[in-house]
Amino acid sequence: MKKIIVLLLVSIMILSACSSATNNDNNAGETAETSKITIWAWDPNFNIKALNLAKDAYTADNADVTIDIIENAQNDIVQKLNTGLSSGTTKGLPNIVLIEDYRAQSFLQAYPDAFYPLTDTFKAADFAEYKIGPTSVDGQNFGLPFDSGVTGLYVRTDYLEQAGYSIEDMQNITWDQYIEIGKAVKEKTGKDWISLDPNDLGILRMMAQSAGSWYLKEDGKTADLSGNAALKEAFETYKKLMDANVVKIHADWSQFVANYNSGDVASVPTGNWFTPSITAAADQSGKWAIAPLPKLTNNPASVNASNLGGSSWYVLNVPGKEKAAEFLGATLGSNVELYQKLVMEIGAIGTYKPAAEGEAYNAANPFFGGQKIVSDFASWTAEIPNVNYGMHTYAVEDILIVEMQNYLNGKSIDQVMTDAQKQADSQIK
Amino acid sequence: MREAKARMNIKTRTNAVSWSFIAVAVIMICAFYFYPMIQALIMSFQSGTGTNLSFVGIDNYTRLFTDSTFKTTLTNTFIYLIVQVPLMILLALFISVLLNDKNLKLKGFFRTAIFLPAVTSLVAYSVIFKYLFGADGLINVMLLKLHLISVPIQWITDPFWAKITIIIAITWRWTGYNMIFYLSALQNIDNSIYEAARIDGASAFKQFSKITVPLLKPIILFTSITSTIGTLQLFDEVMNITKGGPGNATMTLSQYIYNLSFKYTPDFGYAATVSYAIVILIVIFSVLQFKMAGDKNG
Repeated sequence: MKKIIVLLLVSIMILSACSSATNNDNNAGETAETSKITIWAWDPNFNIKALNLAKDAYTADNADVTIDIIENAQNDIVQKLNTGLSSGTTKGLPNIVLIEDYRAQSFLQAYPDAFYPLTDTFKAADFAEYKIGPTSVDGQNFGLPFDSGVTGLYVRTDYLEQAGYSIEDMQNITWDQYIEIGKAVKEKTGKDWISLDPNDLGILRMMAQSAGSWYLKEDGKTADLSGNAALKEAFETYKKLMDANVVKIHADWSQFVANYNSGDVASVPTGNWFTPSITAAADQSGKWAIAPLPKLTNNPASVNASNLGGSSWYVLNVPGKEKAAEFLGATLGSNVELYQKLVMEIGAIGTYKPAAEGEAYNAANPFFGGQKIVSDFASWTAEIPNVNYGMHTYAVEDILIVEMQNYLNGKSIDQVMTDAQKQADSQIK
Repeated sequence: MREAKARMNIKTRTNAVSWSFIAVAVIMICAFYFYPMIQALIMSFQSGTGTNLSFVGIDNYTRLFTDSTFKTTLTNTFIYLIVQVPLMILLALFISVLLNDKNLKLKGFFRTAIFLPAVTSLVAYSVIFKYLFGADGLINVMLLKLHLISVPIQWITDPFWAKITIIIAITWRWTGYNMIFYLSALQNIDNSIYEAARIDGASAFKQFSKITVPLLKPIILFTSITSTIGTLQLFDEVMNITKGGPGNATMTLSQYIYNLSFKYTPDFGYAATVSYAIVILIVIFSVLQFKMAGDKNG
């Protein structure tokens, strides 16, 4: 019997030792956090590099602050934030996190009080207007706008010439004209015109936003599918592209990039963050140019500018939040010089307006035949129509991906939009 | 009298000792299995975004019946189940009988070769399959060079072929694993039974169907239940090879749960409901399989 009592006592002691040990950890963590800022972001060539530049700029004046930059894949960050925030414990979460604009409202509204308001940290009026909507709730700013997802049409000028066109013919065109030129290019060069992933309707999102329209209504909660003229035309344009037989299909990002780097595909309408992927094929230097994004043919609201992707910085409501907000405010929230560096060293185009006049923005890019691509992108940024991405972009898109397949297989467009609306209404509440 | 008391003491003592041994495990299982299961059950009656959950009664369960994505994922999962599980079980059975042949040379090599896929990482092999079956992948190049096809097969982006790709992938990964069970069971079958059958003039096929299969029945039952459960929980392969696409042509129930919790604005309540749908399915299938394979008196 004695042995059992001893055993029990020992196990109780071990258990209590364990729990007290974790308590100690907690306290240690909290005191340490006040002078340490942890940041989560993805993409080592873009966001992480930008953070490192910001860190260097900040720690030069604030030597007592340690900044810990942790790289995670975007999907992992989304998953970790969801599990962390829904479990109710903030332990293990960073001070600052990068969130894609399409997902921002979903986080901000699903986890009220989890984010620290940044209204006083930076001047919202200094940033591109279309970035403010997705990053704020009820007039309070929660996200510091970061990179611009402004779109352009990257195109191979050498293939264009072989087909009897030049880059001038690509300026401010409509999607219908774009398809016509594509047919000519395919006929003359045998190269496909565009590479698409049937599982990613980014091109639809660009078309919709170019007309100031989105998958969801202004409130960000109700699906806006049946009766959405811009989206309907985007669907029809997508089908025209497919029927024109100028599309190469890819299934993932690496195939997508490979299609362009190998010279198999001649044009890509996408966000400006695609530039490093294009320039990765050094042998194609001088053969590319960037034109404004085509606009919808029959929609008067549609402009030759849109947005794809882009993200912003958020401060979590955990110990150390004031320091974290101060760091953001002092660097990416106001430092013009830092933005010049971002452009020169990594080609990252921010949405901070005062930075757009600097020298770096007017530099000619030899890879793109001397085109001043940064200043072009910056001027298109100003034209992007403002839309509310709302809470359910990806949920609706998954419905549309399925309906798009049905549409391509012969279902009527009105039926497609009605069915999509029905599904979306039952799924999102 | 004193003896009896001492014996009692010993009995209670051994009882206490044995209980203290399993107590740790019991507490752990309760804390890490049953408690979360009950919490998930409670959660499946709630709905809302993120942490704003509220009780909605059986709304989530009625929503299942009108949710077309749920129906599609359920159909997909059933297609995998109906096509892949029997195919794999038969293949595993066939290979294990071949490998059990006494006269076979290099037995160890063949066994290792066929079992090896089962030790590879799910993600690693999925990624390799994605490249093998890509539009310009090795499989297409080979078929084109052999003039078996004239245009590349869209293994990943065509709804029909994408399902085939997934089925090929999971069959490759799990056949060896099931084969090991059969192989070990085969080695427990007394050789004299086969000898007697041969003397009676039974053909090889007769021996297989009248001796091997009946004697392997418990193992066949076991492997079909574990494979069924595995298929109902299928996630890694689909996530990595096709991402559930094209559209949701290859999406499984597990991937739908993932999407509901992490890809869309999180609705953990409804995600829990879908996961309970899987639990219910697994229970139904296991009972069915027991009933179908069970002895009449068992």
